[in-house]
Amino acid sequence: MIYFVIRRLLFAVVLLFVVSFFTYVLFTALPTNPAALTCGKNCTPEVIARNEVRLGYDQPIHVQYGRFLKGIFAGRTYGPEGASVHCPAPALGYSFEYHECVTDLITRTFPVTLSVAIGAFVLWMGIGVGLGTLAALRRGRWQDRFATTFSVVGISLPTFFFALLAILVIVIWGGLLDFPQYTGFTENPIKWFSGLLLPWATLAILSASTYVRLTRNGILEVMNEEFVRLGLAKGVKRRTLIIKYVMRAAMVPIVTIAGLDFAALLGGAVITESVFNLPGMGKLSIRAVTDSDLPVLVATTLVAAVLIVVANAVVDILYGFLDPRVREKV
Amino acid sequence: MRKRRAFAALLVASGLAIAACGGGDGGGTTGEESGGKSASSDGIVDGGTLHILDVSEGATNLDPQRIYTGADLGFLGSTIQRTLTSYKYAAGVEGSELVADLATDTGTASNDAKTWEFTLRDGVTFEDGSPIECKDIRYGVSRTWASDVTGDEGPLFALSFIDAPEDYPGPFTATEEQQAGFNEAIECSEDGKTITFNLRESVGDFNFTVALLAFGPVPEDQDTGDQYTLKPVSSGPFKIESYEQGKELVMVRNENWNKDSDPIREPHLDKIVWHFGLDETVIDERMIADEGDDQAAIVYGGIQPQNLQTIFGDDKFKDRRTDGFDGFVSYTMVNMKTVNCAEIRRAIWLALDRDALRTAGGGPFTGEYAKGFINPRLGADYEEADLPEGLNEDGTPNVEAAQAEMDKAKANPDCADAYKRATETGLTRDHADSELWQKLIAIWIDSMDKIGIKIIDNPIEPSKYYATINETPGDLMSAGWAADWNNASTVIPPLFIKDGGFAYNYTWEDPEYDAFKALVDEAKVETDREKQGDMWKELNQWLVDRVWNIPGLYTKTQNIVGSRVRNAYQWYQFGWYNVGAIGLTE
Amino acid sequence: MSTPLISIRDLHVSFHTQDGVVKAVDGVSFDVMPGETLGIVGESGSGKSVTANAIMRLNFGTQVDVSGEIIMNGKNLLEVDDDELRTLRGRQMAMVFQDPLTALNPFYTVGNQIAEAYLIHHPKATKSEVREIVLNAMVKVGIPEPTKRMDSYPHEFSGGMRQRIVIAIALVNNPQLLIADEPTTALDVTVQAQILELIGTLQEEYGSAVMLITHDLGVIAETADRVMVMYAGHAVELANVDELFETPTHPYTVGLLGSVHSLDDSSRGALQTISGTPPSLINLPTGCAFHPRCRFELGENSLCRTEAPQLHAVGKSRSACHLPESQLLQIGAKGGV
Repeated sequence: MIYFVIRRLLFAVVLLFVVSFFTYVLFTALPTNPAALTCGKNCTPEVIARNEVRLGYDQPIHVQYGRFLKGIFAGRTYGPEGASVHCPAPALGYSFEYHECVTDLITRTFPVTLSVAIGAFVLWMGIGVGLGTLAALRRGRWQDRFATTFSVVGISLPTFFFALLAILVIVIWGGLLDFPQYTGFTENPIKWFSGLLLPWATLAILSASTYVRLTRNGILEVMNEEFVRLGLAKGVKRRTLIIKYVMRAAMVPIVTIAGLDFAALLGGAVITESVFNLPGMGKLSIRAVTDSDLPVLVATTLVAAVLIVVANAVVDILYGFLDPRVREKV
Repeated sequence: MRKRRAFAALLVASGLAIAACGGGDGGGTTGEESGGKSASSDGIVDGGTLHILDVSEGATNLDPQRIYTGADLGFLGSTIQRTLTSYKYAAGVEGSELVADLATDTGTASNDAKTWEFTLRDGVTFEDGSPIECKDIRYGVSRTWASDVTGDEGPLFALSFIDAPEDYPGPFTATEEQQAGFNEAIECSEDGKTITFNLRESVGDFNFTVALLAFGPVPEDQDTGDQYTLKPVSSGPFKIESYEQGKELVMVRNENWNKDSDPIREPHLDKIVWHFGLDETVIDERMIADEGDDQAAIVYGGIQPQNLQTIFGDDKFKDRRTDGFDGFVSYTMVNMKTVNCAEIRRAIWLALDRDALRTAGGGPFTGEYAKGFINPRLGADYEEADLPEGLNEDGTPNVEAAQAEMDKAKANPDCADAYKRATETGLTRDHADSELWQKLIAIWIDSMDKIGIKIIDNPIEPSKYYATINETPGDLMSAGWAADWNNASTVIPPLFIKDGGFAYNYTWEDPEYDAFKALVDEAKVETDREKQGDMWKELNQWLVDRVWNIPGLYTKTQNIVGSRVRNAYQWYQFGWYNVGAIGLTE
Repeated sequence: MSTPLISIRDLHVSFHTQDGVVKAVDGVSFDVMPGETLGIVGESGSGKSVTANAIMRLNFGTQVDVSGEIIMNGKNLLEVDDDELRTLRGRQMAMVFQDPLTALNPFYTVGNQIAEAYLIHHPKATKSEVREIVLNAMVKVGIPEPTKRMDSYPHEFSGGMRQRIVIAIALVNNPQLLIADEPTTALDVTVQAQILELIGTLQEEYGSAVMLITHDLGVIAETADRVMVMYAGHAVELANVDELFETPTHPYTVGLLGSVHSLDDSSRGALQTISGTPPSLINLPTGCAFHPRCRFELGENSLCRTEAPQLHAVGKSRSACHLPESQLLQIGAKGGV
């Protein structure tokens, strides 16, 4: 098992380097001149050329990537001498749009996205797994029909539509909640909670729909397994049976899928963050796209990629812990 | 040139405003609305928090040397950034009156207006209580030169006035010699109270120039370079308490601001919270609903076109809505090198279906057909120009009159090349690419086809639009302009004089350019304001007659405020509210 | 004769599916005597497994109707509440499933699973007691190095070993009745014999009755005392094992025996098969369910087509067939004339 973990982690590290290289190259190779973005409308070709040299965009791409990597480990100084800005390690770049080190931007926006993701995750797993389980245990009855309807409706509602509708009905017309706004958890947990309620619900509805189906089908499948009948034949209590036999088995694939979904969400829920005005990574990346803010774009893409890679590794390792059969094989 | 904020600039470039080109207007103005009760000071109670709702993810700039968009100049000037001179706190044309701010008066010119001297008031301070001295203003202005730090975002034209060393690179990288040279151009007296600007040329209204925030003070020891724009040091009645891009900026009262040292500002609010990144649809819905904190809210940006009918169709919004000119004139720049034939230019104007263009862009709310290049807001300099005969006032095309002009052009040997280009090669129509423009270009092609002119569509990526037409101008190019201050000296010269800054269309190729330039130079130095105004009016008529550019619209903007907001008048000079003057009712 | 350990009377089991009601067991009655081995034999779909599951009431998660009586210790198992049922399951009756590869919970060690079976019915047992019991059970079913192997997971065992663990689980509480549902079908031939032998040995040791469900007449011949033959949800013949093989008294049994390649009785000669296919349980033929495939069917308008035959004494056996007794006693003896 320990070899498995080590091997899996090593693979993840190699993958990260590959991903970072391609992310960097891909965006740097875009037709937009990154140096042109460092000065305003009055930009003359001379200023652009000067900035190009200053920012190192005139160097071959492997040199640029090398500097980028070095910045991650050793920090980097940006801007002209006399008025330069130093970003300490890990420096992912400096945004001339935000006038901030990209690492600072990410450490500031990530907690927002994390808050959105965690709450949505808890809610959707709760609703998805709860409703899915209920549907499976009450198969064919009204609970099952309700869950199926919920799942179909939830999956076909576009996020932005549901989000705007929620704001209109609950906040503007109903006046039941304040307009969603992000407040740090440490600042005011109650405001943190109430401000994130709608975004959580919006994200949760969509994902929960998928998990209702996953859970329902998973449980029904496991219920037909012989070992469940053996449990019953042993005289195991129904509740124990459902938890120890059915759920334990049905949850293994769900946990792994949920891990990846969670990681994807950590990369930023673009639409939800935009509609609910949450200053998270999703909004950061979308603004970077519209502003062609290359350093931010590279960094957010990279962070999202890192999260996915890490989540993949974690899920794989977790799978090993959850399922003894996998543990032995690897 | 006074630019707009990114989203607004995009609007201009994308053609919403520039779309309709024309001049005639039979119905007069469609009536401006100035905001009713919300523009008055009725019932203001000192204190409270004003909320600003904004689609953008952050302020374009807070660094005074980088701010050069109308709304921000007024907003930040009235709250955190004082300058030597400023504008009167008043609605209407009165609000364009220059008044002394950090200086004791509006300045003294000497040496044929090549030297300008200002004396600082006693007791003026930064937010930390330290006094504002001459060196702080000099240091502040010098930052405008540092293109590698302040990004050339400020008013570069103003730099050319000052007699600084040609190669001055700004204070960050200047050699001692360069800095010494600069310090001679802007001199400080021993006691730090008097600042003297030595100019390269006569600038009769230089005291208006120093009202630009680029001439605002910055304490050198607190300058954070590129990051100064995140937290500038305040000299006004408010200061920045916190700023998080994508979320909000909070301004609170600056305890070290002293009313005695500031005769113009009358702050009522305790706090201003600028909310970023809101969905535009949500903003409109919130403003219409007018609940809770939104009753104390104003909107940065306009109303969504689809909500204009709701808001302007119902009298219950009467005291909360504004509809007025934003100071901009949109127009089509014509390349004088390739279309060097007034008949053809006039034919284009006559044949263009300006009515269809304006309708596609949003109808009368987008603006009124312009009658020249000087906005009605420039009261003293404005006069409706006489428009070409046959130009329909309702904006519809007059193909017959246009064809007559084309026939004249055909017969005129001087027009041979231009005629051939227009009818055979085709004229390129440069515009920033947008969904709207896909409709507009069809109208253009259709209109021109009726008089045998071929149009070649040339959509340009919006963020690179102006840079592109500056480098490689097409035959017909969309553009928009607003005056820097209440004088057409900031309109006619930059738009039509070589090196004026925004004349991308080779006006100097026209045989009558020299005559025109002589008149302009004369007007620029005219010190009798009334006389000067008449000269601008004449020049405007001259331009309309020669059709160097084709006028489009006096563009308008619509806005709405919360029901508790007062003093939300449109500040004439800046096309937005005087935020520093706003107060709230109980 | 002593009192039956368990009496099944007029058992009906039907499933509700989208296509209609499946009558999987349609009026079956029989007894299991203490200590005996009752074989239940039939083709797949004949209702033998459903009968076994009905006795254990293992209809978890499916929509099913069960009626009739299953009397054990004077109680109708179909009427006892869930709590009481649980005390019977695993304690008084236990079950061994067909596929040992899927019958064990893959997430827990085998020791844990054996222990669980014991703990459910002996909640007060101490840890060391349980450990002792588990080790004992593993020794008894012949698992080498039990102290080491008790912490292994099911997938670490071979199929045969897993079936031994299933048996250990079944027998850990000394049940009076062991229902073995095709316990050897999924195993290698060599392992099959070992498992059957194991069941036999343990049965002797514990004195349990065994209900052995199989489609393999060879297995029946080796292990059963009595045999019940099922066809399309009905019991068609009930006989002592010797009688069944000597003189089958139902046309279906005859056909079934004929389809077994028997080496020890050359008189039956060539392999015979039953023509036709088993009927749909949703749309059973009228009268005798077997009549469309029956070589001896009495023809149109006969009882075979109108009335379902009941088990009745035919010689020393009991048979459910409308043919006259004399004829029934002949068809088997003559090897199907």
